[in-house]
Amino acid sequence: MVVLKYLFNVLVFPGLLFSALVGLLLSGLDRKVVARMQKRIGPPIIQPIYDFFKLLGKETIVPRAASRRTFLYAPVIGLLALVTVTLFIPIYKYTAISTVADIIVILYLLTIPAVALIMGGAASGSPYAGVGISREMVAIISYELPLVIVLLTIGKHVGMALNKGVITFSLSQIVSYQAEFGPMITNWRLIPAALALLLIIPIKVGSLPFDIAEAEIEICEGPLVEYSGAPLAIFKLNHAIKMFIMTSLFVTLFLSGKGTGILILDIVLQVLLSAVIVVISISTLKAITARLKVEQVLKFFWTYPTALALISLILVWIGR
Amino acid sequence: MFKKLIEKSFEKSPWLFHLNTGSCNGCDIEIVSVITPRYDAERMGFKLTGSPRHADIILVTGPITSQSRDRLIRTLAQVPDPKVVVSIGSCPRSTNVFNGSYSVEGPLDKYVPIDVSIAGCPPKPEAIIDGLAKAIEILREKRRAMK
Repeated sequence: MVVLKYLFNVLVFPGLLFSALVGLLLSGLDRKVVARMQKRIGPPIIQPIYDFFKLLGKETIVPRAASRRTFLYAPVIGLLALVTVTLFIPIYKYTAISTVADIIVILYLLTIPAVALIMGGAASGSPYAGVGISREMVAIISYELPLVIVLLTIGKHVGMALNKGVITFSLSQIVSYQAEFGPMITNWRLIPAALALLLIIPIKVGSLPFDIAEAEIEICEGPLVEYSGAPLAIFKLNHAIKMFIMTSLFVTLFLSGKGTGILILDIVLQVLLSAVIVVISISTLKAITARLKVEQVLKFFWTYPTALALISLILVWIGR
Repeated sequence: MFKKLIEKSFEKSPWLFHLNTGSCNGCDIEIVSVITPRYDAERMGFKLTGSPRHADIILVTGPITSQSRDRLIRTLAQVPDPKVVVSIGSCPRSTNVFNGSYSVEGPLDKYVPIDVSIAGCPPKPEAIIDGLAKAIEILREKRRAMK
């Protein structure tokens, strides 16, 4: 029974099927909203699902210069890591797996898709991919620091209330804190941290002002340049699931709480709030900005989001 | 199981790759105008891709110059099946006013079978969208013929 339950968790509900469907729909919503902001009609919301199945039906070409096994396994490794992350993110009271330090697990597992992208790009042997992976590394360096500080801030804040001042790394404890004291966003000390996380979401999913690694016009989608067919479809799926995970993480960290008590309604609420975060942090930024240069991204993330997150951390530390 | 869905998806999400073989830039501008807010081909799922590996429909503009001939053949070979070749403008179908030039090695059908040929110098955006709609039907037929 326990095995069946975990199998269900991995393959259907918070895992593969659910997160893939919601992620693809969220990225469709993103494309639609951006189109409406540019006064276009835009593709239908289920467009990414069509894209995914079309790519499954295409021929898969492995270039002669590529190392075949790494080239084909890299997207699958990324997908496995992302599906594992979805198990750890609570949907209000519900979690598939709850541990003492799931924030640290999530932080490490969220790095794996980026590493998979780097691996796949390096294995493809294309010069465009070479440029792309070096930029992807710059992106990782720039967003990890503010992301860690944001998570530390929230951990410290919850720890001071529930854990006698010891930082907590448990997402379920963060949710139970919010069920008791109201959503985290209502606390003025944590608003800078929320803003920082809103800026981190676009670079984590590789969307427009910060998509230096996959700049479509400059370097032809960087590490993905040699991919075609099913592996490309899985990379696109990774993208979509990453979008759902990051927005869902924001909802869990800042907008969570008691919920409605009924699981289905909780899920709907979580997905709707994620959609709102997609519109605020991904689509709006995408519609109003142009791509930054590589060094500008690094400079931006090490100043503004880091400063915002640090302000929150200091306020929380001296708060009480 | 997914056969129907995949066939439907081919109709709904054709990705374009634009290949310039020495064009005068007129047709290229018209292709760009197809994806502007006024005509918005993205509502039908069209998307310009940067890499021939991601493409379903290849848009060729220009009379084939000797510089671009090898690159044309190599790029077309990099596109995964099923693929559709669309020639845009009069240059790829007849080399137009450049006919007889020492550096022009067109027309395009010497090198690759053309599926859809859109005439005009340059063709109107409406004509391009019409030609792309026909290209989608051919793409679906080619997918059906694949095993």
